[in-house]
Amino acid sequence: MFSDLAVRKEGTLLCPPGSEGPLFERVRPDYASCTERFRVGERSFNRQYAHIYATRLMQMRGILIARAKQTWGAGVLVRRLCDLKVGEQCCIVGTLFKNMELQPSILKEISEEHNLLPQPPRAKYISQSDELILEDELQRIKLEGNIDMPEFVTGSVIAVLGAENNDGIFTVEAFSMADLPQQHPRLPLTSDRFVLLASGLGLGLGGSGADSLLSLQLLVDMVSGQLGDQGEQSGAARICRVLLAGNLLSHSTQDRDSVNKAKYLTKKTQAGSVEAIRLLDEVLVQLVASVPVDVMPGQFDPSNYTLPQQPLHRCMFPLSTAYPTLQLVTNPYQADIDGVRFLGTSGQNVKDVVKYSSMDSHLDVLERTLRLRHLAPTAPDTLGCYPFYQSDPFIIEECPHVYFSGNAPSYQAKRITGLDGQDVLLVSVPEFSSTHTACLVNVRTLECEPIVFSSFSPEDEEENDMNVSH
Amino acid sequence: MDDLYLENIDEFVNDHNKIVTYKWLSLTLGVHVNQAKQMLFHYLDQKRKESSGSQLHATYLVSGKVAANGSMSHKVAVVREDQLEDVKSKMDITVSIHVYSIQKAVLKDSGPLYSTDYDAVKENLKNCCKYSAIRCAGADPLPSDVPRQSQEIAPVAPLEMEAKKSVVNGGTAAANKGAAKQQKGIMGMFNKSTSKTPESSKEVKMEENEDTATETTKSKPALKVHNFFGKPATSKAGTSSEKSRKTIKEEAVGSQTSHLAVEEPSTSPLTAEIKEEEAKSSNAAGKKHNEGKSNKMKRLEQCDSDDEKFESRKKKRRRIKKPQLSSSDDEVIADSPAAPDAEAPTPSPESKVKEEPFIQTKVNSEGKRRKRRRVIKPRTFVDEDGCMVTEKGFESESYSESDDDFKVNKQPLKEPGASKAIFRKNEEENKSQKRATAAAGKAAKQASIMGFFVKK
Repeated sequence: MFSDLAVRKEGTLLCPPGSEGPLFERVRPDYASCTERFRVGERSFNRQYAHIYATRLMQMRGILIARAKQTWGAGVLVRRLCDLKVGEQCCIVGTLFKNMELQPSILKEISEEHNLLPQPPRAKYISQSDELILEDELQRIKLEGNIDMPEFVTGSVIAVLGAENNDGIFTVEAFSMADLPQQHPRLPLTSDRFVLLASGLGLGLGGSGADSLLSLQLLVDMVSGQLGDQGEQSGAARICRVLLAGNLLSHSTQDRDSVNKAKYLTKKTQAGSVEAIRLLDEVLVQLVASVPVDVMPGQFDPSNYTLPQQPLHRCMFPLSTAYPTLQLVTNPYQADIDGVRFLGTSGQNVKDVVKYSSMDSHLDVLERTLRLRHLAPTAPDTLGCYPFYQSDPFIIEECPHVYFSGNAPSYQAKRITGLDGQDVLLVSVPEFSSTHTACLVNVRTLECEPIVFSSFSPEDEEENDMNVSH
Repeated sequence: MDDLYLENIDEFVNDHNKIVTYKWLSLTLGVHVNQAKQMLFHYLDQKRKESSGSQLHATYLVSGKVAANGSMSHKVAVVREDQLEDVKSKMDITVSIHVYSIQKAVLKDSGPLYSTDYDAVKENLKNCCKYSAIRCAGADPLPSDVPRQSQEIAPVAPLEMEAKKSVVNGGTAAANKGAAKQQKGIMGMFNKSTSKTPESSKEVKMEENEDTATETTKSKPALKVHNFFGKPATSKAGTSSEKSRKTIKEEAVGSQTSHLAVEEPSTSPLTAEIKEEEAKSSNAAGKKHNEGKSNKMKRLEQCDSDDEKFESRKKKRRRIKKPQLSSSDDEVIADSPAAPDAEAPTPSPESKVKEEPFIQTKVNSEGKRRKRRRVIKPRTFVDEDGCMVTEKGFESESYSESDDDFKVNKQPLKEPGASKAIFRKNEEENKSQKRATAAAGKAAKQASIMGFFVKK
């Protein structure tokens, strides 16, 4: 753990000044970025979104059939929907579609015969009356039976074992997901190296007061080696990379009202994000002067809305782009740091799955998406994404060692293993602006530790809350 | 290591009433952060022992391992002195404790600590990590590259081409921006009309982008661009007028003006125009208008045939403009002041040529965008005959960027081409922009008495 590492030396700072302060060298990791698959070059939105589903099914079919044979025996019959016979037990592979009553539908909204008011946003759109339907290339069939309907979301590709009954409904006996893909073995490291994961800095007007900015300042100071005693500073020198997973700006900077207001009212006002980006640039310049930083865009950042989000433009960071240590990367992001594969998003995919399923914990959703082998199964149904047609870049082809998602309501971490011996650390990175917590991942042992930053304020006199901050 | 720092800290805390954080101290005194922390502790210790009566409060930084919800986490906290022991006792392992800040007053919350550090860092952005305990080998800022500058060239070029301000409106309350705009206009005219090499203009732009007040006495185009972009135009007349483009930010213009009045006679129309522009800029306050005008007159007289050609060209342009403008009320009235003046042997007609509002971006350190544009405003002055004259002219006005988007859109419309074509385009744009500023225009129209002159 970081704390154990840092406590080796005795305290030296509660004494008169002595010799020149120590100087630790920052560890330099081997870094290779694998984000080409998430870069979108020439963008054309003239295509239908159906092609993504077609290519997704095509890519996953083989994997799922292999998995089905592995689970239910090699002799299991694999049928296409058009070849189904009533009563015959077989396995079918297809994409799930969940028919939800409460799912907002633009057609219903604008249809005059319904006379509906636009539906207010809800926390969850599931209800008891939902139906699961399996679609393959040509047909679709309703599913019932031994399948946990609320947990599945539209767009997941699975294999189900069962039989069709007289009503034309497929009765499910068992189902199988693609499970974890192959993983490259990790090279053993000799010394502890850390990667700091943080997200949801929430800079910008109304996003954070001076207190929460102090916590951010403490984070920056700790990572750049100014804070703390010698032990802590030498520990901080082992932080080889910082990953900022989205939502660097706060939600309040996305002021849509200015579009609707009259020009003469908004004449002298400036977009909230301008000031926020400037503040972010100043924070980043302190960080990049000392450690390599990867910056991912998030839901409230000035990048495109559809996934995969492209990197923030370097012109927004005039001070920080002077340093080669600043890397502006895509969301989702994939990289090899010291031989350890990191894969993660800024949290939009997880939040969308939470909205359309009964799962609440971000960590559980992370695990589910990894087992489904797909980063964002709800794209493009309810999550905006680019109309890919040649291949689906969200399919996880190689199992990561660290799989994270940002902007979770609280910190959670778990270690899971796959059927073929894969070993993955799942981390749901909490939102810094509310929890003041960042995650420190030890790449040698694949352990994660939260770091909490706190400051004092008037109401803390009685509380003395030691856990998550104010 | 002498103990001077103790006195320094004493001064900061007691006399200036500052909150002295370790980071602020380290950046101010230029010492390693750990030394700063130790210095603070030493000072605090000493003062407590002396107990000289002045109450000092300190905040500490405590970090260590705590058990939270069944798992261990590393906690880093800034606490007040009275909370220190409490927080320490709750930690399993205490990794570090040191003084975070010293101040005279009791701090209720940690906001002021953040602002102190923020100010300290803001002043030292380039070397904020100079005194930290960790050195990162790969983190060296790259020098500002030419590629980045070349991006500046591109937007400048179209601006140049567009802004065809041949005439300096002597009466405009020009800030440097106004002058720069017009200089740009002159540059544009220069490029088109005299068809001097575009290369020279580019070369000139490159010089501009060199970004220093290089007072190179290069060719006149170079000179002009230097002025044009507001660089110190020392080469022009040996005067060190500090018209830098950055001074667009500054409203106070008047300073350099009067020396510009003393200009060497130039053999090219551009120079004359630039002088005029500078004279124009000199009329920032509006007070010097007469002086400026007389200067202009002098200069015009000094001009040789080239200038006359230029003027005739301008007059030609004016003529071209007039029919186009006659379609709109605004322009008719605005034009009429131009007509009588055309006869008068003063440079003031040049001022009547419509220039499209030229927008320049003024970016100050806070990242705000304030632009200047030229609007028609009436101006009353006493001319050489001792007569009071009210005429409309372009004046620079500051506004913010969200205004008049379509004006900005028009800029890309302009491309280098035949001067007249562009002039016409400019006229159209002027028209539309005038419509945009119709309110202002109409107000000016109503206030103007030039209608009276037209009848004559």
